[in-house]
Amino acid sequence: MSKDPVCPGTPLAPTGGSNRRDFLREALSLGSAAVVALILPKELAAAATPNYDWDKHRWVYIIDTTKCIGCGSCVRACKQENDVPDDMYRTWVERYEVEINGDTFVDSPKGALESFEPATPSQSVAKAFFVPKICNHCTNTPCTQVCPVGASYQTNDGVILVDDKHCIGCGYCVQACPYGSRFISPRTHTAEKCTWCYHRITKGLLPMCVQSCPVGARIFGDRKNPDDPVNQILATERLAVLQPELLTKPNAFYRGLSMEVR
Amino acid sequence: MSDEQHPLKHTKHVFRALLALAAAIVALLLGRSAFVPRSYGAYGSYRGDNVAEQMARPVRHGGDASCGDCHGDELGKHDKGKHAAVRCEVCHAPLASHIKDGDKVGAMKVRKSRELCLYCHLQLEARPKTFPQVQPKPHVEKMGGTWSETACFDCHDPHAPTPK
Repeated sequence: MSKDPVCPGTPLAPTGGSNRRDFLREALSLGSAAVVALILPKELAAAATPNYDWDKHRWVYIIDTTKCIGCGSCVRACKQENDVPDDMYRTWVERYEVEINGDTFVDSPKGALESFEPATPSQSVAKAFFVPKICNHCTNTPCTQVCPVGASYQTNDGVILVDDKHCIGCGYCVQACPYGSRFISPRTHTAEKCTWCYHRITKGLLPMCVQSCPVGARIFGDRKNPDDPVNQILATERLAVLQPELLTKPNAFYRGLSMEVR
Repeated sequence: MSDEQHPLKHTKHVFRALLALAAAIVALLLGRSAFVPRSYGAYGSYRGDNVAEQMARPVRHGGDASCGDCHGDELGKHDKGKHAAVRCEVCHAPLASHIKDGDKVGAMKVRKSRELCLYCHLQLEARPKTFPQVQPKPHVEKMGGTWSETACFDCHDPHAPTPK
């Protein structure tokens, strides 16, 4: 971990900031210099990913429920990439079985970590499908808004993150998320969630769930890159988001989303 | 002239009040600096340093190309087969558990069991009908194989899975 604070792209000090800093230094050199050193933000210098400019990206995620085979590769890959605690899931896969009369059965044993067993045989299943779930990385985030200490936030490139050194583990965000995407880590007792593998996407890699999907049911891309295929999909295809009535404006979009899915 | 009318009579009181105020401000700033992280507010209402900390987390999966550095033959066969879309580390394990700084740090785990195959190929109602899937035991028996933990591998090479 970098010891120096880091600026991902934008310079921290606004133009002319050094003048103010100089002024403050002079003004306070009369005796309060120690206080000044403590309250002024230290200039952010080297970057963990030097060439990454977060103002040049806006990440978006597309899930194809018509392709998902429910194998759970994404769940296992996420676990291993992010060292997710046992019995907790940053991504999981749900199975929906809808009978002719409309009765719907949903399960997700161990988040599909070990895929699925055949469901109880029923003669009347009219349709059945898998729905992968992740954090929707909403534009209007109920979760970050309720955080009392500013530990959860949205990055400039549209990713919702949790600062586990600052989080007090109150769990407000866990309750605020309408998609069940957050949990309190039994290890750190702080909130934990999908980061879209922020440590990977800022290095030009894919989130591990996307990379591990053998059937291309998970697509990840950059809205600010006109050549990225996701822009074609977003522009031309009929997509849906989960619980649009909540006005959270998710940035995870679904192909073939059935109305039973919440 | 009475004492009350002396123009400098209350100066020291004002001075004391100002001193107390200055002390209170210093105490406030010191207290604030102790509780508010230094990079807080750099980009928004959060600790700016955390962005870099998130970026700096270790990448554990190296991708197929990293496997091919040493296992080019296997990767070449894999890339021509029907499992070309299945990433190496999905069936094996993350690169980080095998290689660190170019040196081998552990054996690569391979879960060579039928469960591994059935994650994808067990017949399930919710699976798209176009995806190849079997009822394992009847399939093995129908093909004249022996039902065992490694039954799948008797006929199929997972790197290029057509019947041997």
